[in-house]
Amino acid sequence: MFGGVSIIDKQILKDVLAAAMSEGGDFADIFIENKKGTGISCEGGNIERVHTGTDIGAGIRVISGESTSYAYTNDLTLEGLTKAAEIVSHAAVGTKKELNIDLTKLQPVVDFDIKMRPEDIKTEEKVAAVNAADRAAREAGGDAIKQVMVGYGDVVQQVTIANSEGDYVEDERIRTRLLVQAVAAENNIIQTGMEVVGSHSGFELFKKFIPEDVAQSAADRACQMLKAKPAPSGRMPVVMAAEAGGTMVHEACGHGMEADLVQKGLSVYAGKIGDKVASDKITVIDDATMQDRYGSYSFDDEGVPSKTVTLIENGVLKDYMYDRLTSTADGRKSNGHGRRESYQDKPIPRMGNTYIAPGKDDPETIIKGVNKGLLVKKMGGGQVNTTTGDFVFDVAEGYLIENGEIGPMVRGATLTGNGPEVLANVEMVGSDLGFTIGTCGKEGQGVPVSDAQPTMAIKEIIVGGTEQNRPNGKIRRL
Amino acid sequence: MKRQDLLNNAERAVETAKKYGAHLAEAYVNNNKELSIDVRQGQVETMKLAEESGLGLRVLVDGRVGFAFTSDLQPGSIEQTARQAFANAASTAPDQNRNLPRAFPDYPRLDLYDRQIALTSVEDKIAMAKTMEEQACSYSPQIKVVESSSYQDGDVEVAVSNSLGVSLSYRGTYCGVYISLVAGEGDDYQTGLDLDFSLSYEKLDPVKVGKTAAQRAVRMLGAKPVNSAQVPVILDPYVGVGFLGLLGPALTGEAVQKGRSLFARKLGQKIASDKINIIDDGTLAEGLASSPFDGEGYPTSRTTLVQSGVLEGFLHNTYTAAKDGVSSTGNGTRNSFKSTPEVGTTNFFIEAGTASPEDLIKDLTEGFYVTEVMGLHTANPISGDFSVGAAGLWIKNGEIARPVKGVALAGNMVDLLNNIDRVGNDLSFLGGQGAPTLRIASMSVSGH
Repeated sequence: MFGGVSIIDKQILKDVLAAAMSEGGDFADIFIENKKGTGISCEGGNIERVHTGTDIGAGIRVISGESTSYAYTNDLTLEGLTKAAEIVSHAAVGTKKELNIDLTKLQPVVDFDIKMRPEDIKTEEKVAAVNAADRAAREAGGDAIKQVMVGYGDVVQQVTIANSEGDYVEDERIRTRLLVQAVAAENNIIQTGMEVVGSHSGFELFKKFIPEDVAQSAADRACQMLKAKPAPSGRMPVVMAAEAGGTMVHEACGHGMEADLVQKGLSVYAGKIGDKVASDKITVIDDATMQDRYGSYSFDDEGVPSKTVTLIENGVLKDYMYDRLTSTADGRKSNGHGRRESYQDKPIPRMGNTYIAPGKDDPETIIKGVNKGLLVKKMGGGQVNTTTGDFVFDVAEGYLIENGEIGPMVRGATLTGNGPEVLANVEMVGSDLGFTIGTCGKEGQGVPVSDAQPTMAIKEIIVGGTEQNRPNGKIRRL
Repeated sequence: MKRQDLLNNAERAVETAKKYGAHLAEAYVNNNKELSIDVRQGQVETMKLAEESGLGLRVLVDGRVGFAFTSDLQPGSIEQTARQAFANAASTAPDQNRNLPRAFPDYPRLDLYDRQIALTSVEDKIAMAKTMEEQACSYSPQIKVVESSSYQDGDVEVAVSNSLGVSLSYRGTYCGVYISLVAGEGDDYQTGLDLDFSLSYEKLDPVKVGKTAAQRAVRMLGAKPVNSAQVPVILDPYVGVGFLGLLGPALTGEAVQKGRSLFARKLGQKIASDKINIIDDGTLAEGLASSPFDGEGYPTSRTTLVQSGVLEGFLHNTYTAAKDGVSSTGNGTRNSFKSTPEVGTTNFFIEAGTASPEDLIKDLTEGFYVTEVMGLHTANPISGDFSVGAAGLWIKNGEIARPVKGVALAGNMVDLLNNIDRVGNDLSFLGGQGAPTLRIASMSVSGH
């Protein structure tokens, strides 16, 4: 299965697992990765970078009780792997045992149909897509557009996972993404507009999202932001449009439902299974089995088949996201959320595609129901303190709502709130659903995720704006 | 892998690239070993030992750059990487400023290797993480959870070779401890963390780190929002480093040339309060980001970026320097063999002032001492606008009155820099970036 690397024989994997557990331990696994990728970037109308790379390596882990030892290496020879296995075996505690495992290949529950594999597409074609986006952004924005940055990336990650329980998994993840950032300037005001698309697929991504259209959205937003007023500050009703994507559900509840944080007492959702933790209009699901989605996978990075996990159902907390270590501690099976950035990292509970399920309310009616508030059409990055549930995120595109009508655009708004409080304050849930993609960081590991939500009305959130930061009524910006 | 082997690999890759038709070629090879130990409730939770090596190959063909990397150092893989790098060059835009540095007669001599790290047993390192956890827990019964109490060290070897005669290598080590924890009282939970990274094992102080983290969490218990106000704001060094981090990219020649620096066309102008000096120093003694040469083999140096509030210069690598007709400042930084040398900071800091942190608080009738900000990464690096969630301590009549959370701080980096009225004497580093306690004369704090 590995192009440039010799196939690792099952017997070698068995021997390495046996060596890893030779000094004891309850569980051992090996994660072998061969990742090939291409990155292209364009700035100032020039193709600045065309990078390709190959990263191969293996991570070996032994768990004994609640203790994990982990080693990784780029040396995939029997000698290299055995050396890494011996390192972890010395760190393991317990009684020596002879391990005789029979590796059985697991079949995936979902099959992702990749139509245009990145390695079958010529570099020129990828470069052409980047150039097309660059031109489109400039044309869309006219003279106001000062800078356009376009980034393309594809990755083919092939993994082999084997463990002491006899599971053997081969999996391939293919992801493609395109990012366009446009900088607009006028009268000493500089604003940026960013748009990113990506999926668990190959070059067919651009059949769904035309590079020129992606670029146009980014450029349009940057230009509109020039004319936007500074956002107001204070507590106010907020409507989040479906197209705003799921940053809030990701931050406000997703992280707090990762089992490691729950078990360490670092989540506001700890010990609350069966409790009402949100408005009864709220159902939250993490589904890594969805076709095409950026956070999809058929097996997680511990070789567990992906699943659809209902986290909150009609406001009641139902489940957490587990990997093997945390599921063992809770005396249950993993629900397929053990993910890692690469062979260099131990798996930890992570999200895949997290979303708030659509409700019954008409999105337009939701906006009409707000007398004075903020409409969030695009969210930016965010951050959460899972222990308290406090979160903050950036509003990349926001509008005032006045008497049920969408008013002028505002810039510089951030939403500060508390996950459980905000979810309890959801008053209406729309029948639509909009996704955004991103790279989620936790313990220094970045993994691809997507998240989504329908249009929702929230009774009140603290909006931190820049409106009051106006010395003598004059706005100072560079 | 031996350092000589790294250099041999690099030189072989350069030769191979030349063979495929590259006019100029450069190979960067590194080998990193890392140990990390996480302790929880007196037991080792995770022990991780890692070894990584790889090669990044940059070629120039008629002013076009191509790059490819591999972590497979077999000869066949290096050949393939050379072919790919050469092929990739065909698609990039030509630019006559693209060049590689020549060899220098001298490079800074730095003491970056501490033998003590390798000589110390793993058991002693585990003990260090345990001590830190114990110190934190014994600080107060209110410490409910220690999320992680960790020790980490690394041994880094780097070799750079290019077809203009550069052939360099160095070895360095680092070590550090990190703790994050939660204090609780009733339904109220507050987090605290502290860390200490150093080039020298002897300098690590797990007792102090454990206590500091505990103190940070406990003092936040009972935190509540405040009413919106316009008040003096004090940034603790960690928060100051966070804000300083936003300035790093804006102070690079690259950002200026690409029109995405808020300091473009400001050279020689006042961009900050006259109390502010900002330095980048790749040769800093005991600096975690110190090295004798940068990611393209150019000697590192000390660069004064801001002196008494006046913008004095920008950071450069070989390419951005050639474009501006200046010399590289030795800031062609690389994260690893997987990336090309981009302009980046090394040891990047605001110089210490003279006032003690207590003095900055003493003469305020009212103010906000910020100990934590959330969402700083959402700030706009080009316009300098930021709006972050903040927590900290409210100051009343020169004393800390009560903990505060759930408020927002909004403003613009330029205003913040200009409004700094006092600078503390407590320069502290967070990795390669450092700041002393900073006081801002006035800022808007949004609460209720």
